[in-house]
Amino acid sequence: MSDTFFTASPHWTWYIILYFFIGGIAGTAFLLSSLLHLSNLTARPSDHPTDRPLIHLGYYAAFIGVAFSGFVLTIDLERPLRFWHMLIQNHTGVPMFKPWVPMSVGVWGVLLFGLFAFLAALASLSEERPSWRQLQSAPIRFLRHRGPSAVIAVLGSIFGLFLAGYTGVLLAVTNRPVWADSSLLGLLFLVSAVSTGAATMILLAAWRRAGHPASIRWLSWFDHRVLLLELLVLLIFLVSLGSVARVFLSWWGVLLLVGVVGVGIVAPLVLQRTHRAGSLRHHARAAMLVLLGGFLLRVVVLLSSNQIQVLGSGVVGP
Amino acid sequence: MAECHPVAFRWPMKAKTENGAKLIHIDPRFTRTSAMCDIYAPARAGSDIAFLGGLINYVLNSERWNSDPFFREYVVNYTNAATIIRKDFRDAEDLNGVFSGLMEYQNKAGWPYDGFVGTYQTDSWQYSSHGEEQGEPRGGEESSSPGRTQAQGKTGKKQSFESVIRSLLKPPPERDETLKNPRCVLQVVKRHFSRYTPEMVEQVTGCPRETFLKVAETVLANSGRDRTTGWVYAVGWTQHTNGPQVIGCCALLQLLLGNMGRPGGGIMALRGHASIQGSTDVPTLYHSIHGYMPAMSALKDHQTLRDYLATEGVPTGVWGGMPKYLVSYLKSMYGSAATPDNDFGYDWHPKISGDHSHMPMFVAMADKRVKGMICVGQNPATSLNSALERQGMRNLEWLVVKDNFLTESATYWHRAPEVERGEIKPEDIPTEVFFFPSAQVAETEGSFTNTQRMLQWHFKAADPPGQCRSDLWFTHQLALRLKSLYAESNLPRDEGFKKLVWEFDPDPIRTAFPLPGTSSIAGEPDAQKVLREINGYRTGLPDQHLAGYDELKDDGSTTCASWIYCGVFPAPGQNLAAVRIASPPEARGALLTWGWTWPANRRVIYNRASADPAGRPWSERKKWIWWDPSQKKWMGHDVPDFPVTKPPDAPAKPGAIGLDALSGKDPFILKADGVGWLFNPAGLLDGPLPTHYEPIESPVRNALYRQQASPVLKYWNHEGNPLAPVQDPRFPYVITTYRLTEHYLAGAMSRWNPWLTELMPELFIELSPELAQEKGIHNTDWVRISTPRAEIRAKALVTRRLRPFRMGGKVVHQVGMPWHWGWEGVVTGDVVNTLSSLVGDPNVSIHEGKAFVCNVEKA
Amino acid sequence: MASGAEPMGFYTDTTVCIGCKACEVACKEWNQLPATEGGAHEMSGDSYDNTRRLDGIHWRHVKFIEQFSEDRSDGRWLMMSDVCKHCVNAPCLEVCPTGAIIRTEFDTVVIQSDTCNGCRACIGACPFGVIGINDVSNVAQKCTLCYDRLQAGMEPACSQACPTDSIRFGPIRELKQMAEARVTQLHQLGEKRAHLYGADEKFLGGLNSFYLLVDQPEVYGLPRSPKMPTRNLIPSSLWSTAGAALLALLGMVGLRKRRMDERAAEADTDV
Repeated sequence: MSDTFFTASPHWTWYIILYFFIGGIAGTAFLLSSLLHLSNLTARPSDHPTDRPLIHLGYYAAFIGVAFSGFVLTIDLERPLRFWHMLIQNHTGVPMFKPWVPMSVGVWGVLLFGLFAFLAALASLSEERPSWRQLQSAPIRFLRHRGPSAVIAVLGSIFGLFLAGYTGVLLAVTNRPVWADSSLLGLLFLVSAVSTGAATMILLAAWRRAGHPASIRWLSWFDHRVLLLELLVLLIFLVSLGSVARVFLSWWGVLLLVGVVGVGIVAPLVLQRTHRAGSLRHHARAAMLVLLGGFLLRVVVLLSSNQIQVLGSGVVGP
Repeated sequence: MAECHPVAFRWPMKAKTENGAKLIHIDPRFTRTSAMCDIYAPARAGSDIAFLGGLINYVLNSERWNSDPFFREYVVNYTNAATIIRKDFRDAEDLNGVFSGLMEYQNKAGWPYDGFVGTYQTDSWQYSSHGEEQGEPRGGEESSSPGRTQAQGKTGKKQSFESVIRSLLKPPPERDETLKNPRCVLQVVKRHFSRYTPEMVEQVTGCPRETFLKVAETVLANSGRDRTTGWVYAVGWTQHTNGPQVIGCCALLQLLLGNMGRPGGGIMALRGHASIQGSTDVPTLYHSIHGYMPAMSALKDHQTLRDYLATEGVPTGVWGGMPKYLVSYLKSMYGSAATPDNDFGYDWHPKISGDHSHMPMFVAMADKRVKGMICVGQNPATSLNSALERQGMRNLEWLVVKDNFLTESATYWHRAPEVERGEIKPEDIPTEVFFFPSAQVAETEGSFTNTQRMLQWHFKAADPPGQCRSDLWFTHQLALRLKSLYAESNLPRDEGFKKLVWEFDPDPIRTAFPLPGTSSIAGEPDAQKVLREINGYRTGLPDQHLAGYDELKDDGSTTCASWIYCGVFPAPGQNLAAVRIASPPEARGALLTWGWTWPANRRVIYNRASADPAGRPWSERKKWIWWDPSQKKWMGHDVPDFPVTKPPDAPAKPGAIGLDALSGKDPFILKADGVGWLFNPAGLLDGPLPTHYEPIESPVRNALYRQQASPVLKYWNHEGNPLAPVQDPRFPYVITTYRLTEHYLAGAMSRWNPWLTELMPELFIELSPELAQEKGIHNTDWVRISTPRAEIRAKALVTRRLRPFRMGGKVVHQVGMPWHWGWEGVVTGDVVNTLSSLVGDPNVSIHEGKAFVCNVEKA
Repeated sequence: MASGAEPMGFYTDTTVCIGCKACEVACKEWNQLPATEGGAHEMSGDSYDNTRRLDGIHWRHVKFIEQFSEDRSDGRWLMMSDVCKHCVNAPCLEVCPTGAIIRTEFDTVVIQSDTCNGCRACIGACPFGVIGINDVSNVAQKCTLCYDRLQAGMEPACSQACPTDSIRFGPIRELKQMAEARVTQLHQLGEKRAHLYGADEKFLGGLNSFYLLVDQPEVYGLPRSPKMPTRNLIPSSLWSTAGAALLALLGMVGLRKRRMDERAAEADTDV
């Protein structure tokens, strides 16, 4: 029996599941919007004007996502009003930062990503709403210039990737079953975040009929390969668990197989293959399955571990 | 011991880890105590005499006991092994399990609640000399000890007390120092236990033969000059219809092994309540007055003080001083009104008229013969055969309950199960119930007397809140009010109460200038005045405290309520019970400066036996006290339980009374003949030797004798008290009841504390997996437990710590239940005592809650 | 560690534990912790253990392990008072993002309740499952090794209450000597299974609350080889970083491909 079974559950449940899901999407949406934006910056100005609304939507999604993430992370705390203790030491007023602790880096990362997402969203709004006088002030317009917007895009993307990639690392830097029994959870959650982020972009595009068809194709192409990678990483992750993988000889395993792999990865893969040049609605259907699968992955990973704890002189859990 | 006396268990653990002691646990269940012991010997509840008798048989037939000179020297000199018994004595071996002299019980006294089913005429048990017994007084006897008739009725009105005692002197009995005479005690004992072989032990107790032999070998190997074995027991031994005999059986064994009166030896009774030792020393028991003197009884020849002394007196040994103890006690009762002319007020002293112990009183209550009851720190609504006891309580005109919480006894009239079930309506109950909230231990000053006979004073830390009052306050105030109510009475029967001395109010100066820790509760008596009266002082000079019971006189010049406690308070301001000076860790011997033990701060009683007849320690390792020829006194690690200047070679003075009648090598100074009794000619009503009887309810026949259960036990034949016949198929399992560390008694003190209740929240029944499987019961299932009296419910705790007993080819299942629950408190549960019956032993009316029968079914 | 002070802690000899739970109650009383469900919960059916685990309101937990052969020829009832191990390298302290968890001058580990915000990272990091949220204070709480009592020169409530000195408190150095002597004594008496758990530096640099056990750790519900959670930090971070770079690159490659395809298509149409 792995030593991780003799521990107690931190009961990181639905708020954290939501955060992992939404936060990963937010970070990836920012990345993908930024890639489009930067790519279009280096193209001829008139190249893909229809991408602009999609880029804006991506940035809005990133900002709303990170704001929601901050909110849900705060209310998950047992003492929400003390959230700031993770940023400032409450006794001394000195900034609180432990670079070897994912949660500490993460809270600063979320904060900084939030800043960049805010700036990007602000710039986007300024561009989309020329009639809103407050948004047309000089500093805000400055954000829309090539240089600043590129910096925001690059730096924000780095923090966005961090947001998408650190959550699994946070779970791994515990002593909990499944999470701490492998070093691949960070990578798995990262890949899943990116696949759900891309899926979100596709859904946003479909919803608002935004984005150049080539960009949509690019998103679908990208999502397809990320899904394949996700399947591979998931398999390697399960193997790396060793005997702990028997946790999934249970209803969690069924949910993993049917919900995460079947509905969330294989079905969209098939859909994407069969209608490569399909309609936006078609892409959107596949994207929704990807989102469902990504959500279920976090549900399975978090809740299957939460059930296991030391009790009496033994262990309880599947 | 680990379960019920965890703090005391510290010491056996230290003995084990630091001094290489071996710990043995004999018990029906594997408990937390067993977990700490080197040997665990399972023994079916109710089979203890078979086990102990087996040990006696083993010892008597062992090579070591028969060859090591130590045992011979100890047994010949310090026990009555060599004394010869009358030739008309018949043992259980001769009479299929009973002794000579068994008679039908005839209730001459008319007291209907005796409960006796038989009685012994004990003449044939006596020492052979002139057919007269040399026994000693013991409570519970309903008829005069035989052989006293010569002394009785002959007492002249002006005869001195000493001459009354002197007239009881008998010539010494015949002895055989070679121990070969078939009628000498040792041979009688040997014959009596001859069939208690290891195989018989296994058959009767269910203890595997090898385990029993391991116990026997270990005990024998650890007895002798250099090593001693001590026994520790609690109610697992006493709560049987032959309880006192179980203890006596262990005493027998310990005497044979030379373990009595020696350090690390002896027998320690773990009493069941804080200070219950005190409640028998300065008693709340009906059959004793202070210091273990028998209560004056209307059923015995106790008409006058001299008659009492003639009947109960023992002329030799410490009890030779009985007149002094008794007169000093009477002076404490009646003060200056107690004079030689009125026999020190003897006639005013109440006399008992029967068995007023717990069980018969409740049977009388059930028969509407008791008007009222004051229940202080007691919870009879959860006591034996509790449905019947509650029935009794419902017949009372008035009931006073004084306790920390509204216990089951305070709320039985509207919350008992029979009321909840609708069988009884509160409006039909005539009882007026009063509740007095109690102060806690830290809110009252007083003393505790523990199992070690040690008095420890405790001071008050805080005043109790609100109207909570201590028992001392309550008793004092009740007495004052009663005295004023009786002050105008002219009835002769009220004279005694009017003359009763009751001066415990604090001195005015102490009220004006209170010492720290003094109560500021109005009406609280001065606890130290109570202690002073118990300790004793020169009559009329209360500041001249007495320093020991040797100072007591029979002429009224001393006042002392309890002779055994005389010396605890030897001078004003010198409360030895309050002394807490710890000896340094490396100090050897008794720790004489912590508290005060009775008598006279002697820590190991009968410690003369820790030295050989010549006064030398048996070994350097086990030296305790010894005779110092140069200083001509007994010295050592303890206060000698012996006249300090009496040399070991001092002969018994012929014709003397008291201690002078004993020689320098008679350690057992409370016994008339100065020796430990292997055979009890007097003192126990159910036989001179312990004999295995089955509990009154048993699933097996007595494998040793035709006589199934004790022929002289007590049973109250009431319709609410039916018993299961032997091997009743309706109730095939043995049930035993016990306590857990986490709770206390029926829970009045523990089930109100969430920190304790969360440790053990629910009532459960422990049963073996084998029985559980047979009955289809799984762990934590609800089960129904039934006896002829009642049925209750509890959850099952299935565990291998309980085992099926294989006895003579038959499997006997045993179950066990902790009895801590009731319907009041943070957590509640059924009352386990509802299952038990009202049966008792004949000596002290102790019940048999430790072994009876039941059935268990999945609910 | 303050200079001059030496590490203090617990040595628990489980062979003399009588399972009386005085330690549990003394701890509750000193720290005024609430009882589970007001003290009126259901019995667990797990031997005499109704506390079940350490958590925010149970800082001492006595475990009971019944080991009996079917024929009852062999039987033991192991008892052990579990508590925070006050690890020399404490995982809880390591991962705490608010800095609430500190080492004291006694080399013990304490959670400052006015700093903790209840993120529960420590709960998941502890290899022994010691920490829990106290529902009254809503912060993570555990044994403080009676920090307040130590500062007043007293010993912890549990070790003072323990009637058989199963729980001993003192300088770690002295406790180790005592423990080693006891293991030797037990071996000589034939109890070869006796061993110390956490007395050397193998586990997390050493446990300042270490144990004498007479069976495998798992029998007592203890991990065989407790580790720091940060063992996973570098490997996981490297995989994630590599993955992030790969995915970003993939995205860029895909975009470039898109542009090149378009250029090609355009070139075609231009022609």
